[in-house]
Amino acid sequence: MLFRNILFFMGESWKNLFRNGWMSLASIGVVAVTLFILSVFVLINMNVHHLTEVIEQDVEIALYIDEEATSDEREQLVENLRNHPEIKKADFVSKEEGLERLRDQLGEENGLLEGYENPEDNPLRDAYEISMHDPEAVSSVAREIETYPAVGGVEFGEDVVENLFDFTGVLQVTVMGLMVALALTATFLISHTIRLTVMLRKREITIMKYVGATNWFIRWPFLFEGFNLGLLGTVIPLVGIYFGYESVLQWIDANLKFFPSLIPLETAMGQVIILVVPLGMALGIIGSLISMGRYLKV
Amino acid sequence: MIEAVNVTKKYNDGNQALKKVSFLIDRGEFVFLVGQSGAGKSTLFKMIIKELVPTSGTLKVFGRDVSRLRGKEVSVLRRNIGIVFQDFRLLEEKTVYDNIAFAMRASGASPREMRKRIPQVLEQVGLKKKVYSRVNELSGGELQRAGIARAISNRPAMIVADEPTGNLDPQTSMDIIKLLRNINVKGTTVLVATHDQQIVDELKKRVIYLEEGRIVGDQEKGAYVRAL
Repeated sequence: MLFRNILFFMGESWKNLFRNGWMSLASIGVVAVTLFILSVFVLINMNVHHLTEVIEQDVEIALYIDEEATSDEREQLVENLRNHPEIKKADFVSKEEGLERLRDQLGEENGLLEGYENPEDNPLRDAYEISMHDPEAVSSVAREIETYPAVGGVEFGEDVVENLFDFTGVLQVTVMGLMVALALTATFLISHTIRLTVMLRKREITIMKYVGATNWFIRWPFLFEGFNLGLLGTVIPLVGIYFGYESVLQWIDANLKFFPSLIPLETAMGQVIILVVPLGMALGIIGSLISMGRYLKV
Repeated sequence: MIEAVNVTKKYNDGNQALKKVSFLIDRGEFVFLVGQSGAGKSTLFKMIIKELVPTSGTLKVFGRDVSRLRGKEVSVLRRNIGIVFQDFRLLEEKTVYDNIAFAMRASGASPREMRKRIPQVLEQVGLKKKVYSRVNELSGGELQRAGIARAISNRPAMIVADEPTGNLDPQTSMDIIKLLRNINVKGTTVLVATHDQQIVDELKKRVIYLEEGRIVGDQEKGAYVRAL
């Protein structure tokens, strides 16, 4: 294809886009909604995977010591933990240390802890943070050490991990269904927009045929039109996702002190762009091809 | 240039538009095709540019069987045939220049060729002053001149004109047909389908008579009414 023809086809396709203003807008809108939902889904999915990994790496057992336990019982507990084959290490965290950590995590809002300065009033308990050789063994080990004397309670993150996986599973099925329906609507609308252009330009198409234009010379502007519709449809969701995700990150940072960090904005946008831009173009091109197959017999 | 051997065209509705039509048109000839509406003139024209294909028989244009032409070969065929329509088929919102440029670009001409060729063809058809006029500002005669300018812009070997004077008054019709004759004098084969008795009788060129899909006469220096 000659360069001057490419410029000509592009010019023609933009003219057509404006000629069918409302239909173009509707097509772009549906592509945008489809891709926006897809992007949100991709971001959630990516972050859930990211969080799962973070949590899995961090899965530890927090063992709280019974306040009533005698020093013999405590020594026995240390011995038991040290000798357990599944346990990699067990770090002692005194309740004072625990309070200090909490103060750090809360940052500016550590005013919440006012009134607990006196060791007598410290609501926390002495604890051990236990990590495993194999994170899979967490729940069985947790159940076992819960029975040791001097143990006041045991906590571990297994439920969180399982719930996250359940959540993404349901989300995937729902969103995939929605996506397919929206993608079909988008291609349908695009093909209709292009059909309108074909009708509007019937006279020009006939003349082009009679003077010996090749089939592709006639088809290219319509293909470019679909491509433009798809491409414009990707711009809106990308801008929306950029600012939306940025606010989510800022909100989490400001309000959810204990929440692990999400995927950074640049990395996340990179992934979304790689997926959304080609998909938008593909929807546009498929829409034009359908329309040309049906309405542009050249 | 055009060789038809037993060309028959039957439409899907059972209507037989052409029945075993045979004729030969040589390079450089000027030929009128006359007959009532429905005699098969338009069907024949559509076959020459491969908009339709014969149901049976063979139609050769420039030595090639049009039924066998595929894709790009059809484009090449059409670039060698200039078509003139009764209703002009110009793009009304564009200027005369843009109409010709549009056709030339579609048939693969470069912008340079267009800039050179368009003034030439407008000079040839006597429309040089109207080069930047919009088509909807032109008179009937001027519209057909613009149509002819477009048809010859790609230097076709043959012009086919389907009722080119159908929408024009007698004087303008005569001007248009003389313009086609001048183009023919320079070597382009011209085939004109017409109802117009005056122009056929005036020019005294070869006339092929079609009646209900059959050729009923073919006379050198013929008149509109067939001599028996």
